[in-house]
Amino acid sequence: MPRYIVERSFPEGLGIPVSDEGAEMCRMVVLNNREDNVTWIHSYVSDDGKKTYCAYDAPSPEAIRRTAKRNNLPVDRITEVRVLDPYFYR
Amino acid sequence: MARPKSRNRQRMELLEREQFLGDLESLFGDLAGGSGRFVLVSGEAGIGKTSLVERFTEAHKKEARIYWGGCDALFTPRPLGPLYDIASQTQSNLLALLDEEAPRASIFAAVFNELKDGRAPVIVVIEDAHWADEATLDLLKFLGRRINRTTSMLIVTYRDDEVGADHPLRLVLGDLSHRSIVRLRLPPLSESAVDRLAADAGRRTEDLYAVTGGNPFFVTEALASRESGVPITVRDAVLSRAARISLASRAVLEIVSLVPAKTEMWLLDDAIAPDTAALEECVSAGMLRYEGEAIAFRHELARRALEDSIAVPHRQRLHELVLKALLNRGGEALLARIVHHAAQAGDSAAVLKHAPVAARQAAAFNAHRESASHYQTALQYADRLTPEERARLLECRSYECYLTNQGDQAVQARREALEIWSQVGDEARQGDNLRWMSRLGWWVGRKPEAESYAIEAVAVLENLPPGPELAMAYSNRAQLHMLADEHQQAVLWGTRAIELAVKLGATETLVHALNNAGTAELISHDEQGRIKLEESLRLALANSFQEHAARAFTNLASTAVRYRNYHLAMRYLDDGIAYTSEHDMDSLTLYLRACLARAHFEQGDWDSASDDAEFVLKHYGVSAITRIPALAVLGHLRVRRGDPDAARLLAEAHELAMHTQELQRIAPVASALAESAWLKGDLEQLLDQARFVLKMAKGHDDPWLQGEFAFWIWRAGGTMETQERIAAPFALQISGDWRAAAKAWNEIGCPYEEAMALAEGNESAQLAALEIFERLGAGPATERLRHTLRATGVRGIPRGPRPSTKENPVGLTSRQMEVLALMTDGLANAEIAARLFISPKTVDHHVSAILAKLDARTRAEAVSVALQSGLINQNRERPAPK
Repeated sequence: MPRYIVERSFPEGLGIPVSDEGAEMCRMVVLNNREDNVTWIHSYVSDDGKKTYCAYDAPSPEAIRRTAKRNNLPVDRITEVRVLDPYFYR
Repeated sequence: MARPKSRNRQRMELLEREQFLGDLESLFGDLAGGSGRFVLVSGEAGIGKTSLVERFTEAHKKEARIYWGGCDALFTPRPLGPLYDIASQTQSNLLALLDEEAPRASIFAAVFNELKDGRAPVIVVIEDAHWADEATLDLLKFLGRRINRTTSMLIVTYRDDEVGADHPLRLVLGDLSHRSIVRLRLPPLSESAVDRLAADAGRRTEDLYAVTGGNPFFVTEALASRESGVPITVRDAVLSRAARISLASRAVLEIVSLVPAKTEMWLLDDAIAPDTAALEECVSAGMLRYEGEAIAFRHELARRALEDSIAVPHRQRLHELVLKALLNRGGEALLARIVHHAAQAGDSAAVLKHAPVAARQAAAFNAHRESASHYQTALQYADRLTPEERARLLECRSYECYLTNQGDQAVQARREALEIWSQVGDEARQGDNLRWMSRLGWWVGRKPEAESYAIEAVAVLENLPPGPELAMAYSNRAQLHMLADEHQQAVLWGTRAIELAVKLGATETLVHALNNAGTAELISHDEQGRIKLEESLRLALANSFQEHAARAFTNLASTAVRYRNYHLAMRYLDDGIAYTSEHDMDSLTLYLRACLARAHFEQGDWDSASDDAEFVLKHYGVSAITRIPALAVLGHLRVRRGDPDAARLLAEAHELAMHTQELQRIAPVASALAESAWLKGDLEQLLDQARFVLKMAKGHDDPWLQGEFAFWIWRAGGTMETQERIAAPFALQISGDWRAAAKAWNEIGCPYEEAMALAEGNESAQLAALEIFERLGAGPATERLRHTLRATGVRGIPRGPRPSTKENPVGLTSRQMEVLALMTDGLANAEIAARLFISPKTVDHHVSAILAKLDARTRAEAVSVALQSGLINQNRERPAPK
């Protein structure tokens, strides 16, 4: 399955508290993704919380957009990527 | 002969199948709640599919009605074979319907009624679906789509190792991927289970597991063979068991092994009249078992092993005996079996007598693949027929191949028929076959060949007094010109066809010709065309010409989309999709869905467009004609969204479209490629695409197509290169009147094009364009416009859409919001489905999701939560119903 980096903007800043509420938010996202066979691997969040770079495995960019909509998450840009491992060249 | 008393059904222990039995049990428990299920049980031959299902049904024979039907390994399977088996077990009129070859729809409806009459749960088992005939596959599809409305379980077993990627069963299963389908794949036994079976049999065998791979049937046979080592193959195991049997019993085994599926007692008695002791010996030795009024091998693998062990001359003699018994018995239901044994016995007179009848019967049940195969069997013995008789068989075979996507075979048979008619000098048949060669040539993608045959057909037939063949040859020429966007020629030939068809009273040809001429006129902006097409549709519906009705819907809808008349387009698409779905005409439903994708895309409903296109593309075996528009929309959508991998989709679409050489398929792909080039700033590529299309479209009066590509050339700074009419919005934009162009696009209902026009305007127009692009999610166009605005020093450019999380606190999708709004209007699911152009099942899913997210138990509660929380505004504007 292709891997994608999904860039998102949160002008108000993204806040997922480290609490039951935060856990529940993440759980809902994962559940919603499952319907379209989309796997959220992890995300990098900018220091101010306004921009995220999220790695996903998904069958297509349309699947990413459908799940984003279901989760009410914005999408700025979807880029298909491959892994480059610097230590591979050792 | 009296039936021996002992039933001797070995009740062996089922090892390592508890979980599967448990799954079946829990599905059975759900039936009472009204959730019918389609259960697929798969695995290699001998893995124990039948044993599992038998054990399960045995446990429920008191509370459920249980019907068994089997597909058989005849060279050409019986059409609806399993249904004949089932019909003889029911009290319904099914058998009568089958015997009178009733229309397929009423047969299927009778089966469905049997499943949903609600008296008691029904379990229907269809075995060995990897051998199913085409009509049975249609039945599985029909039931699979409706099973959830019954309290029944349909259990289908098949060998998954015999079902390759292009096996017809795969296409059916691929379509059945929704929630009422359950798949059980049986694995081989573990080593410890094999050890246990060996221990139970009192044998310790070192490499039993390694040799058998844990295949339960192989294990059982190996343990029963009583030889010192483990037999290397299943065949060795079976034959070593059979070797210990008396000569009289051996004769029974041999004749039974030649009859696929099971051997009826009357057949056995007629063929060899065995004594009871011989039968009893076969049964107690574990080789055969009784099945109702018939006897059969305990497993198909054993039957094949024995059949293969009989020397060919002896085998032919035995087939003669079976054939004689079947002919003595007589009856429609035996036709396919008669042909099978006649061919195996090498009895050419019997094949030539019965194969064509079997072929016609199969075709009557829509088992066209089997029909084609019976004709082929007959043709193998056709050297004793007259040339005319042979040519007629070839014509029939060609037609059945045409209906079943066997293009090369259809062409080959038709060519042979054509040669015969030319030699015997029958010009009417010769002309008609030339017309067919033309149709087939187009269908397999050889357009030049199609055109020359079309011309030759008319030339030959015009030598004769005008007849129905000539009317059809005219209509064929009209169709080819229409498909090639050569409208004047299409209308000319179409009109000739119509006049002649009316004179001859040839209704079907009239419907065909009205469609071709009407579509051509409509494409050249002559509203008379709509009248013709609507008339074609009316006649087709009135006479139940389903293919023609679907073609009329398709041409009305696709023309409306092409000329951006979305109001009409959505109506025709809606009606057309409803009609083709109701009649299970899948390929046409998919084609219409691809048209719908384009209509949604151009109207700015990109989410629906991507759902439509993906729906089409995920189907197996979709024809190029359907795949091209779906790929073009999805590729174009990715270009506009800036999503990855647009190029791959468009490259595939381009290759397929170029192959058809038809402008109507090439242009949408070229349009996406042109826009992609423009967004990347590659003006050379943009000009190449646009010039290519305009060159091809020279002389075509299609203002939208001409306008679109003239617009791209203007965009790239080129000069006007078309002499043709250009649609107003494009013409306005090229002339610099962005304001009027934007207004025109707005009225037509194309927001992206509206924003493209506004982006050419003043600062406030550009800001309005930015808002539209952002609302659509048009990433690259947004970026480009922002860049322009920044470069011209515009301040206060909005930073982008606010995340919508706060607007919709319960996390409903926009589709679910639409459904919820219609629920608060009091619409039932079926009405919601019709309004939103989605299936009632999809609406069901949305409603369940809405109830879950609103934490509501009932529909009414959901509606009241939605209104009280302000999620839905009761006084909102409602769109006019479509």
